[in-house]
Amino acid sequence: MNKPQRESVTVSNIIDDSLNELLHPSARYDALASARHRVFMAPRLLGSLLAFAAFPVYLAMRGAPSATEVAAFAWLIAPILLSYYLSRTGRYESAHLLSSLALVGLVMVIAINTGGIESFAAMWLIAVPLEAALSASRRAVAFASLLALGGILVLIGMTSFALLPASEVGAISHSVLMAFGIGSATVYAAGLAFGAESLSRVSVSLLSVEEDRYRLLARNMSDVISRHRRDGAVEFISPAAEALLGTPVSSLFGHGLFDRVHIADRPAYLKALSDAARGGESCSVEFRIKCDVASSVDGVREAPRFIWVEMRCRPLDQAPDHAKAGESGVVAVMREVTDRKQQEQALEQARVDAERADASKSRFLATMSHELRTPLNAIIGFSEMIAQEDVLNIDAARRKEYAQLINDSGQHLLSVVNGILDISKMESGNFEIALEPFAPRPALINSCNLLALKARENGIELVTKAPEDLPQITGDERAFKQIVLNLVSNAIKFTERGGSVTVTAEMERSNLVMRVSDTGVGISADDLKRIGDPFFQAGKTYQRRHEGTGLGLSIVKSLVVLHGGEMSVQSKIDVGTTITIMLPLCPAPQARTDNVTTLTPAPRLLATRDQVKKSA
Amino acid sequence: MAKTVLIVEDNELNMKLFRDLLEAHGYQTSGTSNGYEALDLVRKLRPDLILMDIQLPQVSGLEVTRWIKDDPELRTIPVVAVTAFAMKGDEERIREGGCEAYLSKPISVGKFIETVRRFIG
Repeated sequence: MNKPQRESVTVSNIIDDSLNELLHPSARYDALASARHRVFMAPRLLGSLLAFAAFPVYLAMRGAPSATEVAAFAWLIAPILLSYYLSRTGRYESAHLLSSLALVGLVMVIAINTGGIESFAAMWLIAVPLEAALSASRRAVAFASLLALGGILVLIGMTSFALLPASEVGAISHSVLMAFGIGSATVYAAGLAFGAESLSRVSVSLLSVEEDRYRLLARNMSDVISRHRRDGAVEFISPAAEALLGTPVSSLFGHGLFDRVHIADRPAYLKALSDAARGGESCSVEFRIKCDVASSVDGVREAPRFIWVEMRCRPLDQAPDHAKAGESGVVAVMREVTDRKQQEQALEQARVDAERADASKSRFLATMSHELRTPLNAIIGFSEMIAQEDVLNIDAARRKEYAQLINDSGQHLLSVVNGILDISKMESGNFEIALEPFAPRPALINSCNLLALKARENGIELVTKAPEDLPQITGDERAFKQIVLNLVSNAIKFTERGGSVTVTAEMERSNLVMRVSDTGVGISADDLKRIGDPFFQAGKTYQRRHEGTGLGLSIVKSLVVLHGGEMSVQSKIDVGTTITIMLPLCPAPQARTDNVTTLTPAPRLLATRDQVKKSA
Repeated sequence: MAKTVLIVEDNELNMKLFRDLLEAHGYQTSGTSNGYEALDLVRKLRPDLILMDIQLPQVSGLEVTRWIKDDPELRTIPVVAVTAFAMKGDEERIREGGCEAYLSKPISVGKFIETVRRFIG
C-alpha cells in the first residue's frame, strides 16, 4: 500500500515542481499570486492533455471526423497556449480575458453546429463567468458575463431564425449528448469550485499569517508604535511602551503620553506630530520623557527620571471614509536614544574641552615666547651695541652700564625660565613635595627677614605676627618658604613708599592660616578672577612699573593646592590687597597623588609678578 | 635739524636700548610707556617716526596706531611696530592694523637702524 502512495506523492511532486517552473518570476515570491497562477494553469493543462488523449478514442468510435470536430479538437490547444502566455508574461487578468474569449469561441462553434441553443454545448456558456470569477478582476468578470450573454443571444437568434447549419449530430442521440454536455460542464464547474476554494484558503491563511507576524512584531519590538489623532492624543500605543516607560499602557492613552513629555520638549513634540499630520511628510523628533522607575522592594517610589527618545512620525494612510471628516492621524515609532544622546553630549564636551585646552596651550606658548623675547631683546641689543662700540662711540662707562643691563636681563630671563619649569612640573604632576613635619614660625620669620632689606629700601614697613605656640605642620618646608617669599615680595613690590606689609599666621581649627596684607595698589575686581593664572599680572588699567614674570602667584597657588590647601585674594584698588593661605595641619593622603594643577594661562600676558627664588 | 623718533615701549631696558641706539645714530628721541600719553605726544611733538610696542599696559599699541591713522593730520607719520609677539599670524595682524613696518624682538641692531633709515633717512 505504501509503495503506490509514495509514487503518487512523487508524481504530484513532479507536477508541482513543473508547475512551479512555469510560474512567471513576478508571481514566484508572492504566495497569493502564485496560487492564482497555479489554479489558472493546472486545470487548463490537465484538460487539454486529457482532451488530446481522448481524441484517438473518439476517432476510433466515430470514424473519420468532420471539419468541425477537427477544429474543435484543435481549439483544445488554446488552454495550453494561454498557460504559456501567462507563464511568459505574468499578465493574469489578460490571460483570463483571453481564456473567456477562447472558451466562448469553442462553445459557440460546437453549439452552432449541433443545434444552436438546444445544443448540449450551450450550457457550457454558464462556465464562462464562473471561470472569470477566479480572476479576482471585475473587468474580467464583466467581460466574461457579457461574452456569455452575447453568445446565448446569438444562439437564440440563430435558432429562431433558422440560420443554423445542418446539425452534425447525426446518429448520436440527443439525450446522450446532453448527458455528456451536463456531465462535462459539471466536472468543469467542480474544478472551478475547488480552485476557488483553494484560492480563498490561501488568501485567508496568508492574511492570518501576516496578521500574526505584525502582532508578534508589535508585541516584541522594543520600539513603541503609537497612533495619534491630529491633536496628538494617543489612540493606540503598543505594549512596548510599558517596558519603556514603566507605566501601564492604559495610562498613556489620550494625553497621558503628552503629560510625560519634558516641558521643555513639548513644543517640538507637538510640532512634529502636527507637521506629520498636515505636511504629509514623515518627520522625526527627539525629546525627553518621564520614565517611572519600578518601585523598590520597600515600596518607596523613587524619583522619576527622564529618558531620551526619538520619535518618527508619519501620516496615517487614511481610509476614504475618514478623509471626509478631515481627520488625518499620525503613526509614530518611538525608541530610546538615551545612550546615544549621552555619547553625543560626552563627545561634544570632549570637543569643547580639547578646543579649550588647545587654545590655552597656544596662548601659553605665545605668552611664553613673549616673556622670553623681551629680556632677550635687551641682551642681544646691548651686546650688539658693545660689539659696535667704535661706530657708536661708546665709552667705558657706557660699556659697563650695558654689561650691567645685560646681566640684569639675563637674571630676569633665568627667573622666567625657572618659573616656567616649576609651572610645567606642577602641571604635569612631576613637582614633588616632600611632606615632613616642620615648625612654620621659624620658616616664616626667616623668609621675612630675607626680604626685610628690600622692604627698607622701598620705604615699606614689614610686620610679622606669628604666635610663639604655632604648632608643627606637615608639609614641604622649602615650598612653604617659597610661598612666603613670593607673597611677601609681591606685596612689597606693589606697595608705595610709606606703606606697610603685614604677615600674620595663626591656627584656625585644624588649618594654618597665613595672611599677607599690603597697603598697595590693589587689584580690580575683573583682575581678581584671573589672579594666580600663569603670566597674569594685574594692572591692565594702571601703569605697569613692576618687574617680574607673572608666575609668582601662580606658583603659590599650585604649591598650596599640592598641600591640599586653599588660596584666596581680597583686594580693593588703592587700598590694598590681602592674600590668605590656608594649609591643613596634615595634608590628606590623596593630596599627594592629586598633585596636578590645571594651568589656565592669562589670555593677555602682562609680565610679571615676582622673581622666583630658586635654591639652585 | 635732527629727526625725532617717538618710542612707545613699556619695558625700561628696551626703552633705554632703543633710545641709546637711535641717539647714537643722531636721532632725537622721546619716549613713553603709556598709549594715551603716546597720542598726546604725537600731537604735540609731531615726530618723524613712531616705534610702537604692541603690548602696552593700558591700551594696545594696535589701538593707538589706529587712532593715529584715523587722524588726517597724523596719518602720514610712519609707525614701526616693535613687538615680542612673534607667533604665526602676528605680523599680518599688526600690518593690517596700519603699521608701516614690523620688527620682532629680539631685534638685530643693523636691521633696526636700516628700517628707521628707510623711513626718515
